[in-house]
Amino acid sequence: MVLLQIAEPGAPTEVQGERQIGVGIDLGTTNSLIAHFDGTDVRVLKDESGQASLPSVVYYGAKGTVVGAAAETYASSEPANTIASAKRMLGRARAEFEDDPYVTLAEGEGLAFNTDAGNKTPVEVSSAILNELKLRAEPQLTGPIAGAVITVPAYFDDAQRQATRQAAELAGVKVLRLLNEPTAAAVAYGLDEHAEESSLLAVYDLGGGTFDISLLRMRAGLFEVLATGGDSALGGDDFDRALAAYLMEQVALDAPSPVQRRIALTLAREAKEALSEVESVSVDVSALSARSEQIKVSRSTLDGLLAPFIERTLSACRMTLEDAGVKTVDRVVLVGGSTRTPAVRQAVATCFDREPLCSLDPDQVVAMGAARQADILVGNRQGDEALLLDVIPLSLGLETYGGLVERIIDRNSTIPVARAQEFTTARDGQTGLVVNVVQGERERVEDCRSLAHFELTGIPPMVAGAARIEVTFRVDADGILEVSAVEQQTGARSEIVVKPAFGLDEGQITEMLKAGYEHASEDMLARKIGEARVEAEALLAGLQAALAADGDLLSAEETTELQRDMTALETVMKKSQPDEIRAATDVLGRASEAFAARRMDRSIQAALQGVSLTDLESAEVEENTP
Amino acid sequence: MRLWREFYGLNVNATAGATARDYFSLFQLEPGFSVDEAALERAYHSLLSQFHPDRYAGKAQFEQRVAAQFCADINSGYRVLSDEVLRAEYLLTRAGVNLAKAEREGVGAAFLMTQIMLRERLEEMSPSDGQAREALTEEIRGYYQASCGEFAAAAGKVAWSEAARHWQEMCFLSKLLDDARPRSY
Repeated sequence: MVLLQIAEPGAPTEVQGERQIGVGIDLGTTNSLIAHFDGTDVRVLKDESGQASLPSVVYYGAKGTVVGAAAETYASSEPANTIASAKRMLGRARAEFEDDPYVTLAEGEGLAFNTDAGNKTPVEVSSAILNELKLRAEPQLTGPIAGAVITVPAYFDDAQRQATRQAAELAGVKVLRLLNEPTAAAVAYGLDEHAEESSLLAVYDLGGGTFDISLLRMRAGLFEVLATGGDSALGGDDFDRALAAYLMEQVALDAPSPVQRRIALTLAREAKEALSEVESVSVDVSALSARSEQIKVSRSTLDGLLAPFIERTLSACRMTLEDAGVKTVDRVVLVGGSTRTPAVRQAVATCFDREPLCSLDPDQVVAMGAARQADILVGNRQGDEALLLDVIPLSLGLETYGGLVERIIDRNSTIPVARAQEFTTARDGQTGLVVNVVQGERERVEDCRSLAHFELTGIPPMVAGAARIEVTFRVDADGILEVSAVEQQTGARSEIVVKPAFGLDEGQITEMLKAGYEHASEDMLARKIGEARVEAEALLAGLQAALAADGDLLSAEETTELQRDMTALETVMKKSQPDEIRAATDVLGRASEAFAARRMDRSIQAALQGVSLTDLESAEVEENTP
Repeated sequence: MRLWREFYGLNVNATAGATARDYFSLFQLEPGFSVDEAALERAYHSLLSQFHPDRYAGKAQFEQRVAAQFCADINSGYRVLSDEVLRAEYLLTRAGVNLAKAEREGVGAAFLMTQIMLRERLEEMSPSDGQAREALTEEIRGYYQASCGEFAAAAGKVAWSEAARHWQEMCFLSKLLDDARPRSY
């Protein structure tokens, strides 16, 4: 491991040593999957009974915690203990679900489900699903899982992404990258990824609970997301509900019990799936009605019920095309089980004037792409692989005087991104201010979503407009936001990593991990020490190599300082205190940032000229030869 | 305790907070308003394929942080250089022009009249009248391209205050172009 190792352009290097194991996880609203790429093939890992899809359902009750198909069997008998579609609620506010007849919320302020086994948050439910997938995969792999790429809808906002990361952390899964689902689907198809001519691809992803439309441009190994759009609360579940409502209406069931609702939903889903194959089905509704009854549902009846939902997806498609300034696309890829519905396929083909691609299973394509990307990120290949450039789905900004939003980063900006804006105080003698970070496209704060508040204090009293406060927004490659504010004259500084307001805080996660989700606490400590040491060793080894190669970039004084911090870390590493090791690693890491940046600068010129570093070195040698 | 942004006009400090790195040299381009788009694209892709954080996914955390910061610079640079209005603004900033002052000095009465006339015509138009909107869009684009040409000429002879005026015209017109675009939503 070399500090900021620069791969030579066009020279793929096979990494030495053992092959690391990466997995791709599609954490879906209705079903979840895990897949692995072994260097040759992508394999979706199945359970003992041969099922690839794990229903995203968790049961918490007298029988303990049960995940998947086994949990679904409790859906009718114990609806409140059986949590389905928890992904819809990840990183969302309680208020958004107060009136939802399908969930039983726990008392209190947070968003949690009230079950017989206690209150369960959407993060915990998602974590149980991830854990189940991990347990399923491990015996089928040749070693421990080094990391996972977890997919999220492109439309997921910062809080939803953070919540997904928390769920993974809670399940003991190391996240290599959160990848947008449509991008993963494009990777799975591996379309023209190395073609010189650029081509445009639309990914139409209609899952159980979310709809995404993304436009990607592919050229010479780069996948660029040009624009994304969609609706994070629209999907096949809505189809089921519409048909369930229709069935209940047919038997004049006005006030269904939770159990009856569940039954109606199950009947509706079965009928919907059958109608993808045949023109008409008979539904036995005796469980909903006093008298035994069969209702005939034709495909055209279903199409009529679905039309408003399909139209919503198409209008999002048109909006996204306009956003990207694009009129036509070269290809359309279908993702998500709901794209099996014939009416959806027809509507998409008409809208884009193209027959959509569907040669890969629309339920598995996302997990397959994630597995491919996980293999790259875990370090098994370097140099030649495709690079995925993602964009942020929603604009980010902050509240200014009068409740207006000042946009700092526009939606569809390529990430990572950093942008700064200067502000000043509104009143004479103002010594502090509150930075309200918001997300959304609207002009007024109340129409946007507030992500976080933080305060900047210690501004010396000045007349209004004299202070100069630079606010910087940074979004990393996972789409997660960090905001800092600095008063330029005094250097007063404040910053925040935006945490999901409706998820769990660091402390709660640590608590839950400690409580032994599945690990005993000694295991946890050993794992933490191990991880801290690996990180420390990687840094030390990297720095030593970097000093040997580019030590000339540092002054003697800087070298001494760096070596002092290195010795400090080596001493601390021998102890068994993970926190201390981490702290010392962090100190050394920060101390060497400037060095790393200088090395990067040195390599840029070489990179741009397409000259390899070795060429550069030998050229220097020649110059020195008389 | 609320923030209040100073009046700077459009695209304030598009480059604030970035490092002192010069975007033209970062992408190995001749500084100037006219940019070889293919060369910019090639340089952008070449830089990203080496410095994107995904290339550092398995590395130490601080390395990932440095890569992310650098990559954010690359993305900002690309955004600025690939957009005519931002590129013009960047050239002005780079030449030490005070944009706030330039904005206070304004664009001149003749241009203001043209701009008001165009906006009025747009506002009177029905949103569904695609043909008329398209015709007006073409007309605005003509004005916009003229302003771009004048900016380039002024920048070429280092007449920065004249260039700043044309940059403001570009800001107005590009905003107008955006508003005039026929929309289905």
